[in-house]
Amino acid sequence: MGNLTAAPKNWLAALGDVVKFAAKIFGEVFGLRVFRFFGEALRQAGVLILGSTLVIWGLAFILGLQCGIEGAYFNRSVGAPAYAGVFAAWCDLREVIPYAFGYMMSAKVGTGLVAELGAMRITDEIDALEVMGISSMTFLCATRLLAAMMVLPFMYIAAIGAGFFASYLAVVQQIGEVSSGGFFLIFWMFQNPPDLLYSLIKAMAMATLIVIVGTYYGYTASGGPVGVGTATAKSMVVNIIGVHLIGMVTTQMFWGANPRAPIGG
Amino acid sequence: MMILTGKTILSALRPPYPYGGEFVNQFLFALKLCWFPLLISTIAISYGAPGLQAGNFLTLFGAIDRLGGFFVLTSIREFGPNVTAIILAGVAGTAITADLGARKIREELDALQVLGVDPVKNLVVPRFLALMIVTGLFNIFAICFGIIGGVLATLTFKAPLGPFVATLLTNASTTDLWGSVVKTTCFGAIIAIVCCYKGMTASGGAEGVGRAVNQAVVIAFLGIFAFNYVFTQTLLATHPEISVIK
Repeated sequence: MGNLTAAPKNWLAALGDVVKFAAKIFGEVFGLRVFRFFGEALRQAGVLILGSTLVIWGLAFILGLQCGIEGAYFNRSVGAPAYAGVFAAWCDLREVIPYAFGYMMSAKVGTGLVAELGAMRITDEIDALEVMGISSMTFLCATRLLAAMMVLPFMYIAAIGAGFFASYLAVVQQIGEVSSGGFFLIFWMFQNPPDLLYSLIKAMAMATLIVIVGTYYGYTASGGPVGVGTATAKSMVVNIIGVHLIGMVTTQMFWGANPRAPIGG
Repeated sequence: MMILTGKTILSALRPPYPYGGEFVNQFLFALKLCWFPLLISTIAISYGAPGLQAGNFLTLFGAIDRLGGFFVLTSIREFGPNVTAIILAGVAGTAITADLGARKIREELDALQVLGVDPVKNLVVPRFLALMIVTGLFNIFAICFGIIGGVLATLTFKAPLGPFVATLLTNASTTDLWGSVVKTTCFGAIIAIVCCYKGMTASGGAEGVGRAVNQAVVIAFLGIFAFNYVFTQTLLATHPEISVIK
């Protein structure tokens, strides 16, 4: 039994360290010290756009298809195939695309950060930076967080677009029980700009968490090449739990008391 | 990767079978690593996504008792398997890649080959089998805790639990369950192959192992969801009776 509970205990301890580390990075970013390295932040933003956008959109697209077919079959079974749009709108915008974004961010960006920073740490490049009088925390971690904050909102909105398009393809073109006009009528009726904003907040909370966890595990990696691999694997655990918890809390916060649907009440 | 899959299956079936001990080790390793993240994640996701959102929608119609039926669709058919696969890929898969990658970098794999020990048979096969079985079993675990999430959501709406359980049980079918288990077992196979492949082909020192883990998770996730799309579609189209609401 001691063995079984040892791992969760370690994760809790790690969580505390991550919070301390996060407070420091936030201090760097919102204390505006990071703007001394704005060029580096822009470069990181470029890396993010070129490296990660397509996979994230790809996953959003696949999950949008998934939402579409489940929605179409479910609505057929309750005898209202015309209302597949409701399912697609809620499933995509409120739940599945944020999760898809969170999963892919932690897989692609989170582990990527750990691998990159971890390699720098164990080859002593981070210490070298410090010796040269550059604050490694600002230069490496804070710039990456700033880059994420600049790029990800737009990338996320485009990912929602990809998910919507995929649901449309699945419901209208593939299963074809509802006309395109009927689908869009219901689809747009069951969402509004505040929903989009909430969804964006949800995804950004996940993204911030993932970048912080990624930089933390990379920055504190130790123990040679093996250590980097282990740190990468560990960061993934924390990220996945975090993504699910953020998903649950924000759903409860934004839609828990008020379904925001144009019917009933 | 396909070659590795073929080799793995062949050497799993062909005697001798030296991988028993390693198999048990890997099985327990995955079990120990994954049970806690999986527990939290499944409760969180099914309380939030289907529980609250669908519950809200059904409350508008005064039909909150139907939430149980909806949970068959979400927990058993979709979220249970998906979350299991995500956790297994993210937690056990990454650990496997990191482990094998480290051995590759330290040239332990080459040393094994020199000693006449086949790395596929002794390292990949036990992981492949262990992950397949563990993912399939964890799926049941995920479904149970997903339903607990649904129970929590029902209680949040101050609705009685009886109708939830009743609609859940009338709508659940064996087809749903075996479909779900078969699906997750295939997910386990995908995860194991991708992660072992990336681990065994890691190169380039310190950054290499990290990069291998990174690529392994990305490919595993995309593979899982692409497979899921095809599988769900086939299952729903070939078994129309499971999507009938009773």
